[in-house]
Amino acid sequence: MKQHPLCSDCEDKITPMDLPIPAGLKQEWSKSESRRQFLGRSGKVLGWAALASLFGEASLHHRAFASGPMQAGSAMNNLGLPHFAPKAKRAIYLFMSGAPPQVDLFDYKPNLATQFNNDMPASVRGNQQLTGMTAGQARFPIAPAHWPFSQHGQTGTWISELLPYTARMVDDLTLIKSTNTDAINHEPAIMLMNTGNMNAGKPCLGAWLAYGLGSMNDNLPTFVVLQTKTNPKENNQPVSSRLWSSGFLSSEFSGVGLRSVGDPVLYLEDPAGVDRDTRRKMLNAVEEINRQTLAEVGDPETNSRIAQYEMAFRMQSSVPELTDLSKEPQSTWDLYGPEAKEPGTFAYNCLLARRMAERGVRFTQIYKRGWDVHDNVVGNLPVLCQETDRGSYALVTDLKRRGLLDDTLVIWGGEFGRTVYSQGGLSQDNYGRDHHPRCFTVWMAGAGVRAGISYGETDEYSYNVVKDPVHVRDFNATILHCLGIDHNKFTYKFQGLDQKLTSPVPAFVVQGVLA
Amino acid sequence: MRLADKIFGFAGDLWQRLRQGQRPWIGASCATVLVLLSLLFLPLDGRAHADWLQFFGRFHPLLVHLPIGLIVLLPVLEILGMRRPSLREAAGLVLEIALGTCLVAILFGLLLAYGAGESGTTVTRHMRGGILLGSELLLCVVVRRTWLEGQPSRAYFLLLTAVLLTLTWTAHQGGSLTHGGDYLTRYMPPAVKRFLAPSAISSHPNSFFAKHVYPALDTKCIACHGTNKEQGGLRLDSYESLMAGGKDGVVIAPRNPDGSLLLQKVTLAPSDPHFMPAEGRTPLTPDEIARIRAWVRAGASAEASSVPGMVIAGEREEAPPPVGDYSALMGEIRQMQQTQGAKLVAVSAKPSDGLILRTTDIAASFDDAQLAKFERFAPFIVDAELGRTAVTDEGVETLVQFKNLRALHLEDTALTGRTLGKLSSLSQLTYLNLSETRVTSDALLPLKSMPNLRHLYLFNTPAEPASPESGLRSTQ
Repeated sequence: MKQHPLCSDCEDKITPMDLPIPAGLKQEWSKSESRRQFLGRSGKVLGWAALASLFGEASLHHRAFASGPMQAGSAMNNLGLPHFAPKAKRAIYLFMSGAPPQVDLFDYKPNLATQFNNDMPASVRGNQQLTGMTAGQARFPIAPAHWPFSQHGQTGTWISELLPYTARMVDDLTLIKSTNTDAINHEPAIMLMNTGNMNAGKPCLGAWLAYGLGSMNDNLPTFVVLQTKTNPKENNQPVSSRLWSSGFLSSEFSGVGLRSVGDPVLYLEDPAGVDRDTRRKMLNAVEEINRQTLAEVGDPETNSRIAQYEMAFRMQSSVPELTDLSKEPQSTWDLYGPEAKEPGTFAYNCLLARRMAERGVRFTQIYKRGWDVHDNVVGNLPVLCQETDRGSYALVTDLKRRGLLDDTLVIWGGEFGRTVYSQGGLSQDNYGRDHHPRCFTVWMAGAGVRAGISYGETDEYSYNVVKDPVHVRDFNATILHCLGIDHNKFTYKFQGLDQKLTSPVPAFVVQGVLA
Repeated sequence: MRLADKIFGFAGDLWQRLRQGQRPWIGASCATVLVLLSLLFLPLDGRAHADWLQFFGRFHPLLVHLPIGLIVLLPVLEILGMRRPSLREAAGLVLEIALGTCLVAILFGLLLAYGAGESGTTVTRHMRGGILLGSELLLCVVVRRTWLEGQPSRAYFLLLTAVLLTLTWTAHQGGSLTHGGDYLTRYMPPAVKRFLAPSAISSHPNSFFAKHVYPALDTKCIACHGTNKEQGGLRLDSYESLMAGGKDGVVIAPRNPDGSLLLQKVTLAPSDPHFMPAEGRTPLTPDEIARIRAWVRAGASAEASSVPGMVIAGEREEAPPPVGDYSALMGEIRQMQQTQGAKLVAVSAKPSDGLILRTTDIAASFDDAQLAKFERFAPFIVDAELGRTAVTDEGVETLVQFKNLRALHLEDTALTGRTLGKLSSLSQLTYLNLSETRVTSDALLPLKSMPNLRHLYLFNTPAEPASPESGLRSTQ
């Protein structure tokens, strides 16, 4: 047996393949190589039904279902999804990483103006855990919003003057002012928001949707992630592929990130000297080999790999068409603003999101980092708003005028809120705001939700929820509901649990925001 | 033997028993039957009486279930008793206990109705039903004894059947009293409901009153202020009776919500003794109160279809009628997909929600001829995604076959709108996207007659309305 030069295994190690046993037996052995499959099979043989369902059969069965051309084959989704006729076919999630300060943007508290620099009443703060950044502060001085609010739209919704464009579409929005979360630091909070669990490793919302609802377009990914170019002056918290991971679901359901600089997808173009036919022949050969591997080993990840090669081949033509904005009419640029012509800006990503909605991408998530305004709110917040306000407005408005908002759900929000008291020094000119998990404002617009309402209320300090609290789990359950999914029935067996996006803790669809 | 002889014989037999004193309960029962019959004519005067009457009376709903259970058990015992005589013996005891408990329940029921001052057709019906039931049970007891002594009698079984029928009817009346007359029909499928009973407010079905005021009264008030009960002499089951008011005068003062007794009562503190709905029933929601208030402020009209300043966000629409089951065509559906490239995708796991025709993958090559191939599935398709396809005006004529179509995407096609008039027969169509086509406003005129078309998109067409940033135009 010739050893590969880079292989570190010692040469004389004897595997069952070297033993003088019948070929059929060797094949059997190769099939049971992975621990998962070994346990699965022995479970079957020995009748360890419980063990089999824990480790082997059930999850294998699930995966076999999940992978391959599942949605391509039949009208009926194998998972029996959607459970009921959905209002929304697709969703776009504008993720404001770093946590926007609700009290400066949406959660209008006029009474605070007279309370400048007063101490937060201890009764309001209660015994809440604070972050290490403010826990040591001697006092918690109230910092009212620096910018005036005014009423907008038929609904008379109060919006900060920092969001002049958002203010124009308040009648289309469903504001949820009582969103709350369990985590006080970015990483666990953003994981919780995306995957329903503070620990990494669970599938995110987009992966669940891709798995459950499947693709509407064979030539583009089902779940796309767009990252906005960072502004180095802002406090950018890391955003990584853990957030769009498929966790224990087959990896083909994870989000596909389109790059903002250069080629949207790396290595998508054919290398010099390789034409498309050659590429096709090469892929056919690779697929043949992969199919053999699948037959031998039975690892469902092989299926994912085959699907991904094929997807990449089709994306060679579909992605350039997607990102070619030359045919957009002038009205597009009037709406999104000149920034939208520059790849990587938030407005550009919003425009791409609209184009993907038209082309059948099921779920698009746009990340905008930098909202972590621990200090210099007065300096940073206007910039952040200016970067995102017009894009968000343009997206909703564009979807609406093109008739796409009738079956698209748009979501805007971060991972938690920010404190009403100032972090660090408070002056007439500036203040900082620390993390605040007890309440924050998010909005939704479009299919499935009631336009023009504000849901939930906070106390007069925008500190605690006093009416209609919406936990992150409830929020995610509501999103799934809009897409026709009963979050309690949408499960995947893993590690002996019927895993779901909303975690084992009970979650409830927020009926009050549904259309 | 002639019938008269039979009856005389039976009466004589009873008389014998009475004289012998062997069956004192027969005498007692006969006396009871007279009392019951006299009660039939007892008037419920609609005025409340002593509290202690109600205190005991309120155990009526509890007690009443004991005789019901026993009566339902009777036919079971009698039928099984044909094979096992011991069960037939038990039936006798059960019957007697049923009669006893029935009389107690009737007594408590009378205490309740008289004490609380109930009146109304349903209460009267319930009372008469109960008394009839008691009488029939008594007859059963009497007739069954003669049967046991060797004269198998068809009369007993006829009586028993009558008892069961009376029981069902009376229990239904009682249920209507506690849960409201529409308890069984409220969640009936709308189609059945429309067939069975035209709404009480059918004169102006689209008025604000019918859509937003009446439903609140219907679910929260008419259990006590309707045909079943008329507490306070007030009925709230029609516009006329609402405006007529009750013993305390009118309850709705048009243009004066604060002076309207109804609004005053429902906005009291829930602990207030005059708070309505009384007795811990579900209060009106702030939303319902807001609607009633706005309606009163606007003049409390029976006909007005909208109320100024009151925007009802996201009115829930009635579910569209289900399409047929396409399960039988699954094989063909799969085959279409493999040969045509366009997909027929289930809207949901319920086949009656229909199919989506999805052409995204091959949009550029999907033309009229391809569309025609889907005619076979036309009745099941509720959503046709034909945006960016090569479908033309001729293809629109095929779409006439898609009777259940609710959403039609034709954006970014070569459509001129020449044949759009043909679509006006699609009665279920609510959404039509014609953005980025060459459709003119003249071509849209035939669509005016479409009753359900609420979302028409004309972005970037010659027909686009002038207002900037809005391609949405309602045809209504």
